[in-house]
This record gives sequence, C-alpha cells and structure tokens, in this order.
Amino acid sequence: MSQEEQSHMLPYARRPDFKVARANELSGTDRRFYRFLEIVPGVAAWATIIGIILASIYTPFIAAYFIIAFSIYWVLKTIFLSYHVRYNWKRLKHHMELDWEKMVQRFSYDKFYHLVIFPYYKEPAGVLEETLNGLLEAKYDPKKLIVVFAAEERAGVEAQTLATNLKEKHGDRFGHFLVTTHPDNIVGEIAGKGSNVHWALKQVKEQVIDVHNIPYKNILTSIFDIDTVIYPDYFNCLIWFFMTVENPYKSCFQPVPLFTNNLWEATAFSRVMAMSSTFWQMIMQERPEKAATFSSHSVSFQALYEIGYGQANVVSEDSRIFWNLMIANDGEFQVVSMSYPIAMDATTADTFWGTIKNIYRQHRRWTYGVENWCYIVYHFTKNKAIPLRKRWGVALLQGEGYWSLVTNPIMLFILGWAPIFLGTPEFHQTVLSYELPIIVRNLLIVAMFGLVVSAVISLSLTPPRPDGHSRFRYIVMMLQWIMVPMTMIVFSAIPGLDAQTRLMFGRYMGFWVTPKARK
Amino acid sequence: MNNEPLIQVLPYKHRSRFFWILVLIFLITLPVLIFYTTGYRLSFENEETSIVTTGGMYVTTDNLDVDVYLDEEKVDSPRLFRSAYYIQNINSDQHRIVVQSPEYQTWVKVLPVDSRVVTEVSAFNLPTIPRLRPITLYQTATGTSVYFTKDITNKVFAEATSTEPYQYSASLATTSYQVNGEFVFVESLFGTTSSSTKSVFGKLLEGIGTFGFATATPVQATTAIATIEEKTLRGDMELFDQDGELYARWLGSASAVPNYFCVTKSSFASTSQRYGEHVAVAIKEAESSTSSPLIIENNRTCRTQIKLDRLRQDVFYYNFFPNSSDLVLMQLQDGIYVTEIDDRAWQNTQLLYAGTDIQTIVENDVIYIRDGEYYFQIATQIESN
Repeated sequence: MSQEEQSHMLPYARRPDFKVARANELSGTDRRFYRFLEIVPGVAAWATIIGIILASIYTPFIAAYFIIAFSIYWVLKTIFLSYHVRYNWKRLKHHMELDWEKMVQRFSYDKFYHLVIFPYYKEPAGVLEETLNGLLEAKYDPKKLIVVFAAEERAGVEAQTLATNLKEKHGDRFGHFLVTTHPDNIVGEIAGKGSNVHWALKQVKEQVIDVHNIPYKNILTSIFDIDTVIYPDYFNCLIWFFMTVENPYKSCFQPVPLFTNNLWEATAFSRVMAMSSTFWQMIMQERPEKAATFSSHSVSFQALYEIGYGQANVVSEDSRIFWNLMIANDGEFQVVSMSYPIAMDATTADTFWGTIKNIYRQHRRWTYGVENWCYIVYHFTKNKAIPLRKRWGVALLQGEGYWSLVTNPIMLFILGWAPIFLGTPEFHQTVLSYELPIIVRNLLIVAMFGLVVSAVISLSLTPPRPDGHSRFRYIVMMLQWIMVPMTMIVFSAIPGLDAQTRLMFGRYMGFWVTPKARK
Repeated sequence: MNNEPLIQVLPYKHRSRFFWILVLIFLITLPVLIFYTTGYRLSFENEETSIVTTGGMYVTTDNLDVDVYLDEEKVDSPRLFRSAYYIQNINSDQHRIVVQSPEYQTWVKVLPVDSRVVTEVSAFNLPTIPRLRPITLYQTATGTSVYFTKDITNKVFAEATSTEPYQYSASLATTSYQVNGEFVFVESLFGTTSSSTKSVFGKLLEGIGTFGFATATPVQATTAIATIEEKTLRGDMELFDQDGELYARWLGSASAVPNYFCVTKSSFASTSQRYGEHVAVAIKEAESSTSSPLIIENNRTCRTQIKLDRLRQDVFYYNFFPNSSDLVLMQLQDGIYVTEIDDRAWQNTQLLYAGTDIQTIVENDVIYIRDGEYYFQIATQIESN
C-alpha cells in the first residue's frame, strides 16, 4: 500500500495492529492479552459443560434448578426469536413485492456504480454462469455495473479460464468486467475468500476505478459468494437504502441470504441447516444494532478504501470487515438490514456422508467467527473513542452469542438429564428428580412450536417445485424440522466447540472452501 | 405505488417492551415451576386455598398388561417408561398400592409417602395358572413334543397350561420321531445336580439342615458367620441361609443400596407404624450387629440384610428369579414360589408352580422343573397374542 493510500486511511486503521488476526502477530503484553482472549471462549464453553456435569454429581439440586431455569429461558428465547422471524418474514415478503425500480426514480443515482466482486476457487462453470445470469437479469442498467470475477492462482489456469470465457461472452454488456487472479503464497495472508477479495479490490481500484476516475464515494461494493444469484431488484433496493439511511458511508447493507438455489436437490439435513441459517439472518435483520455482516453484503468503496480493504489474514472475513469498519470509525458504523433476498446454495455433496461432512466443515468455519470476538475486545481496549457503553454492550453480546451457540444445545438436549443420571441417592428419592425430566420435556415441546413457525415460513420461501420432484417432498420439507434438536448439536454446538477448542489451543484454522455444484 | 416500504424494521422500543415482558414471565414462571417440581401444590380443599406439599410413588412392574391402583383408584396417568408408573400429587400418608390383572396374581403393598419424596416400589405378577413348556425326549419333525401316555393331562396339565402344542402317541414306536436335544440337556442338568438335590433330602432326613443348592455357583464364605452353608450371588446381592432362615444381603456400596433396604430415619414406633414391626425390629437388631451393620445417610437408615418369608415351610432350593436381583425363587414343600426381598409392610409371595414331587433348576435365567418323570420350562408371563 502506497504512502498516499496510507494517508487516506482512517487514523485508527493506520495502527500496525489494526489488522491483527492472531496472538502470534503481536508482541509483549498485547500478545499475551490477545492469546488470553483466544483462550476465553473455549474455556467458557468447556467450563460450562464440565460445570454442569460436576454440579449434577455434587450439587444435583442446584443443577436441577438451573436446568429448569434454562429450559424456561429457552422457551422464552424461542418465542422472542420466532417473533423476529415472523416479523422479518412479513417485511421480506413485502419488500419482494415492491417495485424498487420505480421507488428509486425520485433519487438522482446515475453517478453511482455497483462494484460486484465474485471471489471463486474451483467452482464449476455452471455456478459462475448462473451467478452472472442473475446480474444480466437484474432490473438495473448493466453499464453501471463493474463486475469482477476474482480467481485464485492456486486453482489453476482452468479455473481462471472460466471467468475469462464469461468476460469474452458477456463482458461488453457491463460497464466494466474484470477478471483478477489472486497470487498464491502472499506472505501474511490466509488462502481463502478474504485474501482474494482484498486482492481484487486493489486490482479493480488500479485497473478500473482510478483509470476511469470514478469517485470512491460513488461506488457501492457488493462482495458476493460465487453462488450468489441476486433477485432482480437487488441493486435498486440497495440504492434505495443507500439514499435513505442517515449515514450511507458509515453503513453496511445486509440482504437476507436464502440458501435456495439447490434446495430441491439438497438432503433434509442440508435444507434444515440452510433454512436455520436464513432464519438466524432474518432475526438479525430485525435487530441490526446487534448484527455484523454475514456472507454476501454491500458497502461503499470509500469505506473499504479508508480501512485498506479489510483483512486478508482471517477465516471469517465477511464479519471481520464490519468489525474493521466499526472500530476504525470509532464505533460509528452500522449494519442496515435490507430485508431483501439473495439466493445462494445449500451445502451439499455427491453422497450423504459427504454432505454431512461438508455441512460440519462449513459450520465449523462459520463458528470460527469467534476469532472476531478476540479482535473486537482487543481493539475495544485500545480505541477509547468508541463509547464505553457500546464497547461493553457489543463485547458481551457477541461473547454471549458464541457461548450460547456452543453450550445451549448441549445443555438443553443432553446435560438436561445429567442430574437424573449423575445425582446423589438423596436427590434420586425426591419429587424434583422425577419431575425434572417431565418438566424439561414439556418445556421443550412448547419450544418446538417455534419449529412450526419455521416450517411454515420455510415452505413459503422455497422456490417453485421443479419438474421431476414429487409433491410428497413438501410433506418431507415440513417434517424435516423435527431434526432441529439433533442438527443443533451436530452442526452448531459440536463444530462450534471444535472451532473454539482449536482457537483455545492456538491451532488456528485455515479457510475451507465450501464445494458448490449444479446438477 | 408508495415511495417508502410500508413495513419498517421492528422498532427497538417494541422489541425492548416484548423483551421485558418475557423477562417478567421468566421471573414469575421460574419460582412457580421450581416449587411445582419440588412437590408444592395449590390445594382448594374445604373451600380454602392453601399450599400443600406432596410426594410421589414410582411403581415399576415386570408386566405390561397390569393395572395399577392407588388407594383403590386406578392410576390413569401415562407411564414414565413402558413398565414404570410415576404417580404424582400424593399426600403424605400411608397408601395402598395394588397391581393386578385378571390372569395374574395380585401384588399389594401399603407404604408411606413423604412430602417432596418419591417412594419407589417394584411389583411383580405371576400367572394364576402356571404356564409350562413341555420338554419331551421325542419330538415330531415339526418340533411338537410327544408324550407316550395320556396320564400327563391329568397329572400336570389339569392345573397348568401348555405354552406349546403337544401330542400323545398310542404306540411306543419312536422311529418316526426325533430325539429332542433340549431334553437331553435338561435331563443332564438335573442329573448332574441330582446329588446336591439328594443331599438336601439327605440333610433333611438326617436333621442337619433344610437347605440345598442347585445351580448357582457356590461362593466361599467371606464373613465370620460359621453357620453359613452356601451362598448365591447376583451383582451385589447375595442370598444365603443361616440358622434355618433364608436371607438376602446387600454387598455393594452404600450409595447403590436398593431403596427397600432403607427407611426414613425415625423412631422405633414410627418405623413400626410406617413399614411394619418386623422392619423396626430388624433395624434395631442391625444397630448392634457387626456382620451386617446399618448404613446411615442424611435422612435414611439402611439395613444390609433382609430375612425372606418362607411361609413357614422348609426350603429345598432357592435362587434368584430370572433377570432379577430383587426377587427370589424358592422351592418349598408344596411348590415353587417367588418372593420379593422388599419386606416393607410385607413380602409378596406368589405361587409359581404347585407340587410336592418336584425339582427345580435355574439355568441361564430359565426355570426348569422336573415333576415326577416330566420336564418343563416355566414361563413367568403370559405370551401376548
């Protein structure tokens, strides 16, 4: 990065430790503090699990009361979250029905360009083509789009040729079309989406933006996963939000990812996990002050430029970019929920066990987002310009999120029975010992009503049934939700615990690319 | 078309209000559920609302076709598990529990229920008419047992039911039949143990002792009781005879002692009233015993030894009932009986098979008997159709 570019960066973003990814990149007290932070989530999770087991053995009465309290909390949390999902579902449906093209006509937005970056690795041509078709079918002037297909050198020439072919075929239909190739083995980077995007942003700046003197403030950058197929009004919707929010250059714009591209081909496990991820994002849409960016999202190029395009050395780059922006802007950065969908792929594989493995790995990668908590807390101790209340609020909220992700399903569906099996003989004689499983079971049944809401909403978001798929599949799609307790443990809690344990022991993860395919 | 979306993000105030309502619900529900699960209930008796404490009863049965009655009222509550009933909301008092079924013998017990505590009890019900599976030397090609005399019907099946079809053969010719390997095996069982069985009779005749031991592995005496002859072990439970009486003894850890060895810590009179005088006496005796000391925990006193009810008859054979360490099979003078070790209130003893000229063996949790010259396996349940 040139000195001039450095000087354009926000003051806090110029710090040498601004883009720290792990403890060993620091030294002295900072290193020790960061390492401590890396240990905290794993220790908290394991201490909770082991603590409940020990409490069940030595103080079963207290453990039983705690489990009852926790079960009530879970029911109320389910009600609370279902309320958010249902509300966002209404908003999402409403936004999908709106004519955004007409709505943005009152704004003068001709000066704006949409820079759309698609990092990819070895995904097949079909995935890239479908993604590009989404852009071509958008209700937006394609000449205002700067399309970047960001290839990886390590994926080989064949992978790079896919994008080059697309450029030859469709390049002239867009304002600009660039194919970049992220070099392999750049020191200080982690191979993956983050470093690829980082490279692509620098390339597009040099090769397109600066060449054509496009003001950075007039570029809205959408960083999309390669399987992202946009809905036709995405760019209009984005413009509308950009033009109407109070501080558009201090905002990230988050659509709702619907993992529906291949939903009819995916297994029940895959569908449940995909829809569960969608629901979580729908919940976050209704409480944006607690959200960070996830997966595909948009932000002004100016904001990215001011922080040096984010980090190339982390796994969870999609959320990290928001925290980079938030911390560099002294807390003055927000997530704007668009409640407008983008379509992506549910995780699949050729075989059942392959699918299970891929879902596990993908969720382990997502839950490794706990690395962001270390980053946030570290910088919250450094950047005193961020209001103290906000620092504490965000740190606790994010910490609770990662802790509950790992511990809650295990506590609820496994450890809830621990006092019954591990408790003292004195405990076993009590009414409490006999009533505990009954009350926990009944509370879980009440909580399961939240799944009914999920089932109904998920069906409404499912794409039309393609030929060759039986109507019976709809029934399966309703019934699949009974797997949620199991999927919460196998694909949320355990991969989360896996990720946190790795971080705790300093066995840092790399970026695992989720395989994509089209049938 | 409106220039603004009609639906805005869920307002923070709205969410916050909803959140605090849920917090309020949590704060109200938590103590209510804790009190409920601990045994507290609202009572509306005598037109007065009051809070009462209740206990429970946990009844396990070895039979799925039985009905459970508490104080003469049928228990309709769903089972906690397939063969277990958890009865809630029981006042602190003595309660009569009955487990019965038309074709089974009835099991009855009167037990105390205390506040916030669950009284555990295990019932068993044997068929009223013995269920026998014939084991004959010869079988047809399809496996049907063959008797060469019609006398069997009068002798055995007049008061028992066969679980499998059998047939008579007027001819003594055996060429069209197959030799039943099981018969050979069972006959050898009785043959190899016949000496010990005979020795029982021998002991009886000699006036040395009443007890015999058939199949269970004899264990060397580990205690100082010189009069102990033989012992039978299943898990941590031991059966032994001493001074003409039959006993069950718990050898395991204090934490795992079966609940029927224990009573709530109280006075002799109270224990006598709640569990029967024999229990109170047994605890008093155990207080000074060095061979089977009491286990005293926070709120209960546990014996480690219980005397079994032999119906004032001589015992020719005893062993654990198949697949159970709580029930004992006893061959007495007039038949084979099953009794429970649990002596709270009384020990339920049920007749399994009546007869005087019989021998019994339990092998691999199967009860075989020899009645005269005939061999059978006894079924302990009625087969479901």
